[in-house]
Amino acid sequence: MAERRAAVRAAGRRLMRRGARGVRRTVGGRQRLLMILAVLGPGMITANAGNDAGGVATFASVGAEFGYSLLWILIPITISLGVVQEMCARMGAVTGKGLADLIRERFGVRWTALVMLALLIANAGVTVSEFVGIAAATELLGVTRFVSVPMAAILVWWLVVKGTYQRVERAFLLMSLVFLGYIVSAFLARPEWSSVAWGLVTPTFKLQHAFLFTFVAIVGTTISPYMQVYVQSSVVEKGVTADDYSKTRTDVWVGTIFAIVIVFFIVVSTGATLHKAGIHVDSAAEAASALRPLAGRYAESLFAIGLLGASMLAAGVLPLATAYSISEALGFEKGVSRSFREAPIFLGTFTFLVAVGAAIAIIPNLPLIRVLLVTQVINGLLLPVVLFTVMRLVNDRELMGEQVNGNLHNLAAWLTTIIVTGLSVLYILITIFPGITRLFG
Amino acid sequence: MLYLSQVLGRPIRDLEGERVATIKDVIVRLGADDHPPVTGLVARYRRRDFFLSRWRVSELNQQGVRLNSDILDLRPFVRREGEVLLARDVLDKQLIDVDGKRVVRVNDVQIIETSNDWRVTGADVSLQGLWRRLAPHGFVGTARAVEVLDWADVGYLATDAATVQLKSSSDKLSRLHPVEIARLAEALSYHHGSEVVESLDDETAAETLEEMPPEHQVRILGDMDEERAADILEWMSPDEAADVLGDLPEEKAEELLGLMEGEEQADVAELLPYEDDTAGGLMTTEFVTLPRALTVGEALARLRDMAETPNMIYYLYVVEAEESWRLRGVIALRSLILADPKMPLEDVMRTEFQRATVDEPANEVAQRIAEYNLLALPVVDDSEEILGIITVDDAMEILLPKDWRQRVPKLFG
Repeated sequence: MAERRAAVRAAGRRLMRRGARGVRRTVGGRQRLLMILAVLGPGMITANAGNDAGGVATFASVGAEFGYSLLWILIPITISLGVVQEMCARMGAVTGKGLADLIRERFGVRWTALVMLALLIANAGVTVSEFVGIAAATELLGVTRFVSVPMAAILVWWLVVKGTYQRVERAFLLMSLVFLGYIVSAFLARPEWSSVAWGLVTPTFKLQHAFLFTFVAIVGTTISPYMQVYVQSSVVEKGVTADDYSKTRTDVWVGTIFAIVIVFFIVVSTGATLHKAGIHVDSAAEAASALRPLAGRYAESLFAIGLLGASMLAAGVLPLATAYSISEALGFEKGVSRSFREAPIFLGTFTFLVAVGAAIAIIPNLPLIRVLLVTQVINGLLLPVVLFTVMRLVNDRELMGEQVNGNLHNLAAWLTTIIVTGLSVLYILITIFPGITRLFG
Repeated sequence: MLYLSQVLGRPIRDLEGERVATIKDVIVRLGADDHPPVTGLVARYRRRDFFLSRWRVSELNQQGVRLNSDILDLRPFVRREGEVLLARDVLDKQLIDVDGKRVVRVNDVQIIETSNDWRVTGADVSLQGLWRRLAPHGFVGTARAVEVLDWADVGYLATDAATVQLKSSSDKLSRLHPVEIARLAEALSYHHGSEVVESLDDETAAETLEEMPPEHQVRILGDMDEERAADILEWMSPDEAADVLGDLPEEKAEELLGLMEGEEQADVAELLPYEDDTAGGLMTTEFVTLPRALTVGEALARLRDMAETPNMIYYLYVVEAEESWRLRGVIALRSLILADPKMPLEDVMRTEFQRATVDEPANEVAQRIAEYNLLALPVVDDSEEILGIITVDDAMEILLPKDWRQRVPKLFG
């Protein structure tokens, strides 16, 4: 050994030079890999997770009900979604902590309890919508939801608790790619592109219950509270730091724009087919029929596959993420590998959400599409609580240092927060006092 | 016994019982004590914070504070070295429980009055602690025993107050196995994870880093003071150190390599040129060679005399002669011990053995190790000279699927 070491030491200098070459090679390889991974980063995944059962139902009914006239909302909502997602991703990178952690550490127990309650309700709503999505999808395929929903719930619960969920996740993700079919369908339906363009640039607003309902649902489904928690956690999970944050910023914005582009085509294709024919989206079959220009008589099956994939994906991830957030914020044991005795709150929350989601979805004669929309409205109504919290955190210099919001960013973010809050308040008022619209003439 | 939550916001009264301010925070000095003493309070009066030394306090309980004089010295509060504010730096923050080997969040802090002062005795991590703070004042929940973590078991406090990390707490952490330290550090945010590693001594830090994923090793060592990083790299096994250097930016890697001590530096430098996914990239240079002319007894004596034995001495590699690297045979330590001490190594060694070439794909080599149930496999160059060995633990890392190794499942995708 001693001899060996002596020989090596003699060769040390020469080897160091060789070493540097090796370094150069490996570094080059790593950067290429990072470039590829950036394309499918947390921002991309999160923004597109928004296009789940609730999202598709909301935008299909927007297109059917209002044609192209609400397309203009997509422009401000792209900015809002991007700005909000970017703030959370940045907080994750700078602090290395999840949103729930930060809320607990900065605002203490009471505010944490309030935010977590809001999150629990909102996510319970979304979980219901995912199981409703499963019900709608399987019924299109000819399986009654009294069979499919309990089976799906047990399957999801079992896969997650056994820790094998990740393996099937990709299959669900692939299935949900069917929604890309709306892009093709939109073109094949030959919409009048001039009216599409007109709808995109002329804001219309009506102070009516139905209109506000749709409006809040759009906001709620695009900028859902869970997405902020989700994007921040995945940025932390991925180990992004303040130094290599710029790639994540790009990822967030690319993901946001990509998600909204899909939404745009859903609205255009439903507008060109259903709205023209005067069909309201009251069931999944009607939402599916907007895919006819592409798939003809297979439209329903295709739609069902996409909806099933997207819903199964979120039906597992969402209750799991909620259970993580709540356990994290309140400091309980967490992890799916724990037993019920070790982590009662974690597994309890997860099981509760899956059970409630499935139980509501099998209520006989439930108007599925309506339920999907209502859950998105609940999201929208609870969003201000999360947004205000995020705004206070992201501008906390002690937490974020130099990485607090810039002026322009703050302007956009505050506008989003105020408008979303205003809409929510307005919607609640209009629901409780229907006569209020007359005051505005 | 007192809880922090029962004290915060309570009034501070003078001798006459007149309310003069409210309690905003409790100051504690962390030091060698297992149960740190309270050194003072932060008093809030007319939206400004003042320091109140503990010597001015005669009573501290659920009713608040009673001062021992009427003269209130209003010095503005400034944090001193080693001091933590319980409400600001401890409450709601995470800490490492060395006894339970877990990361917990502080729901409340337990304070006990001793003969002449108040001391922090524990961190309440129970549901009751949470409820005590959530429920309105005076509303008492269940009388069930609360789960309080002894402050003496606090290994690390994940707070942003930079000055409070202590030598004593890193000693507590060092009692844990590096695998556990790594797991706990990973459960914290990356800032705090790095801080945990930095607080350890060089050897433990190196062992802990080896248990972390490569990206984290690179980040932690890359952000560290260069001298310290080089010291830690010296303690890491050469193959791990070479992997880290290979992943760091070129300039940084050369700087760190330059700061390392001669021997360790040469060991690492030798491994750097090989690609990650080849046998050369997988091997380590820590192994023992013995000339074939030695007898079994001489060989054993030489092993005993070695200043530092490598981790892997289950196989000894027999070479042509002193100063030669030409590999002739392999002897398992077991056969060496069992053999007649007078026999020459040549007669004991196995000449038919598995070997790998430097540019053989790492995957194939790892599979061979698993297939033949080997603990290590020598790597040779074209002229049959031994360059290094691949140990079974490194081979396993390649063979086992990634998500199997992470026992805690990832949250998202």
